[in-house]
Amino acid sequence: MQFEVLATCNTTRARVSRMKLPHGVTLLPTFMPVATQAAIKGLTPQQMEGLGVTLILNNTYHLNLRPGIEVLREAGGAHRLQGWNHNLLTDSGGFQLVSLNKFTKITEEGALFASPFTGEPTMLTPEESISIQHAIGADIIMQLDDVVSSLTVGPRVGEAMKRSVRWLDRCIEFHEKSGRNTVQNLFAIVQGGLDPVLRDECLDEMVRRRESVAGYAIGGLSGGEEKDIFWRIIRQCAEKLPADKPRYSMGIGFAEDLLVCVALGVDMADCVFPTRTARFGVALTFNGPLNLKLGKHAKDFNPIDSTCPCPTCSDRISRAMLHHTVTHETAAAHAVTLHNLAFQARVLGQARDAIMNGTFPTYLRRFFAGYFGDVGYPEWCVNALRSVGVDLLEGNPNAKVVKGDGAKWEYSDAM
Amino acid sequence: MHSLRFNVQPPLSSFSPRLGSLSVHRASENTTISVSTPGLITSTSRGVVPHLSSDHTRVSDAIRWVHVPFESFLELSPPVPTLHPGPYPLHACLGFRPNRHVLTLLLRDPADDRDMPPNGNSFVSALCLRGVRKATPDEWREHVLSVQPDLVVALSDIPYTPGSHSQRRITKSLERSASWLANILRPLPGQHVSAGAGAHPLNVLVHMAGGTSPAARQAFSQSLLEPLFDKEAEAIKPLNSLDEGVVGYTFDLAPLHKSFSSSDPPPRGTTTKNPFMEAADLFSTRPTPFATAQIISLIRTSLGPLPAIKPRIVHSAGSPHEILALIRDVGVDLFDAHWAQRAADVGVALDFVFPVPPVTEPSDAVPPPPREIGHNLYDKRYSHDFSPFADALRSCAAAKRGDTRPSCPCMACSPLRPSEPLKHSSVDEALPVHTPMPYTRAYVHHLLHTHEMSAHTLLVLHNLAVLDTFFAGVRRVLSERPEQFSEEITRFEQTYDEKLGVLAESRKDWNEVTLARGRGRLVREREKQKQDALETAVELE
Ligand SMILES: [Zn+2]
Ligand SMILES: [Zn+2]
Repeated sequence: MQFEVLATCNTTRARVSRMKLPHGVTLLPTFMPVATQAAIKGLTPQQMEGLGVTLILNNTYHLNLRPGIEVLREAGGAHRLQGWNHNLLTDSGGFQLVSLNKFTKITEEGALFASPFTGEPTMLTPEESISIQHAIGADIIMQLDDVVSSLTVGPRVGEAMKRSVRWLDRCIEFHEKSGRNTVQNLFAIVQGGLDPVLRDECLDEMVRRRESVAGYAIGGLSGGEEKDIFWRIIRQCAEKLPADKPRYSMGIGFAEDLLVCVALGVDMADCVFPTRTARFGVALTFNGPLNLKLGKHAKDFNPIDSTCPCPTCSDRISRAMLHHTVTHETAAAHAVTLHNLAFQARVLGQARDAIMNGTFPTYLRRFFAGYFGDVGYPEWCVNALRSVGVDLLEGNPNAKVVKGDGAKWEYSDAM
Repeated sequence: MHSLRFNVQPPLSSFSPRLGSLSVHRASENTTISVSTPGLITSTSRGVVPHLSSDHTRVSDAIRWVHVPFESFLELSPPVPTLHPGPYPLHACLGFRPNRHVLTLLLRDPADDRDMPPNGNSFVSALCLRGVRKATPDEWREHVLSVQPDLVVALSDIPYTPGSHSQRRITKSLERSASWLANILRPLPGQHVSAGAGAHPLNVLVHMAGGTSPAARQAFSQSLLEPLFDKEAEAIKPLNSLDEGVVGYTFDLAPLHKSFSSSDPPPRGTTTKNPFMEAADLFSTRPTPFATAQIISLIRTSLGPLPAIKPRIVHSAGSPHEILALIRDVGVDLFDAHWAQRAADVGVALDFVFPVPPVTEPSDAVPPPPREIGHNLYDKRYSHDFSPFADALRSCAAAKRGDTRPSCPCMACSPLRPSEPLKHSSVDEALPVHTPMPYTRAYVHHLLHTHEMSAHTLLVLHNLAVLDTFFAGVRRVLSERPEQFSEEITRFEQTYDEKLGVLAESRKDWNEVTLARGRGRLVREREKQKQDALETAVELE
């Protein structure tokens, strides 16, 4: 990997970087759409490419079950299997193992679980995870970490953090011995729950291994913790991680979360939210999400966003027509998915431009005013951005600020 | 306004196969869209081509002529497309392009053969998500005038009530259909009634009524030709007869297939419930040679007295075999692609060509058993098969010398790089150049088993392209060596199994994989499938 910081924001910790991977260049900060089963639901790789997406995510746990390693090897890797010629990232499979299998047991050797097909006890070790990710062949691969829910408290959190460090060493060793480290880039995952002391300890250990990893992910968040704690952990991690490596915040997809994370120094994020919510008929716009299922859109012949360059909006497919088809026709899910992924790419593309031009604080204020103007700014966003020198309320002292985790959107009912 | 023209090569007889082209000229846009016949019509569900976003619909060359059933829009009053501002309201509302797509408006989905409450003297029962809606001929005409389709099918009384129909019911159906046709053929507001003969400016197609009764079909055709008198004549002035006003004839095969769904001729005089109904439902439009023969005779009866120069459109033909027979024995010009689109819904990649390429083996070799017309990609045998969808057609990757196979232009077999990928910031770089590879059977097998919707997108693009290429082959034989057309059909029938076992098999697998997803989901799915005839419901998870 070649990683170069092109510009940094004078006010916040945001930066623009150029990340060159075996399948091309990805400009950061960026949002990575999730293709869990080797497909962005409903779309083709050519459509993804057309949207200007250069980096997507596949899930190791799912691909290991189906189509399985044998098919992946025969296909020549996941890029070839799905016809995606740009950059690809795989997770370690650990998170899904824990969240999708009730009976997964963590031992020092690895994660012990019952095979979903045969019921046989199966062990996913750090070495095995890397080996599977080698067969998949993604440009960026993740260490196996000991995942605990962000709501877990007590000694388990510290144990998981320490084990994640030990497993990182095993992943590094296996990866280096395999010789794949020239074509696949291993990321470490910072753990430590919501405890700043444990996070610091983990950061120290992992930063010490900086020569052996290509980048860092911030894990163990987005599990239902308070947003006010979430951003503080992100800030702590981003601050301490080396400036010459990409920083990846896992499971982040709401526009406001993305922009706050970027301002705190995060470069990459992934989430199923924009694609999943599209299937439920929710279109994301710079004026907040639209629930196309609501009757008020039934006779609205405007596109979702007339300034949006996505195929759905540039073909002028109307809100009325989408209202008529969402949740009844897969075609409508595809249309809104195209739009939502374009929206995510635009939010971060405009952030890149603003950082390059030195206008990122203005961009943040403009974005939040448009997105939350009517419903009120989430207080945690105001606090988080204030911590890096941006006052969202500047010039707008009477703006509404909402306590708690954020606004109630049109999509609340539709989820 | 637009004008419609059908040029057909003078046929040898009323029912011989024929070549033609149907074109719509838009004076205001100075464009002409031509569709060569025999050719295909794409079916829609709720106004969209199932599984395709607008960008895919736009780049698919097979999608030129599109049928739009209007009934789903009756959920709201007034129906939403009637409110669309600007020119070409139907095109604009549904996302079709006036310079690319010809749109026919129908009230009902012609493939939907489910039992329905009876029609009345002055309404047709139509189905939408909110239940059954009554559509009157006056309302239908109003809707057509507001949304301005390129063609419209007049309302027709097709009984979809259970059981066989009495003579009285059949007579009533003919009278209603004729009177509803007369209604839509009334002069348009401001139309010069002195303009003389010529088809009605709405480009009206008429469904040929009469069901399975030859006598009724004859009577209906006669009623179209008879000069009208008095009030009836006054109403459709300047037309002298109904037939003068119509631009073409349509035939809905779904109710006929339903009537003939037994694979053997029913024993004389028996009216017992058809024991094959369950199985036939697995793929309800699966035709049998018996059914096709009956249908050919019925269509001939309808067309017999009518002018041969008007286009003949068949809805819900069930197989390439049936299509070929209808071209050969009746001279049908256009077929909807419903069956091929349905095949994509259940995981089948079509794989057949016409004419069948010459066989290179010695002539005394034992002929191979008939092939299936496609691949059930659910089947395990494809899990490691990294070849493109079709053997009979060539993908972009396999342009070897001496490969004379027609190429499949679909986005799955010959994917194209997007011409101008979006850029989202000034620092974004051009993407590295690469040649996309054709999608493989193994990949779609994986997508089907993981319930990924992209499988159906790729399959529907492919299946439409295969059918379009098939029709191009038919036209080529008809133009270059018409005398061998029948012979080529025989070779096709010997090569490809007409039983369509692959469709029934994939339908079974589709069911099983759906079942494996869990009961709650299946129930939801079933509910949706009941409502949406094309089975294109979105899987929410
Ligand atoms: Zn858009
Ligand atoms: Zn194809």
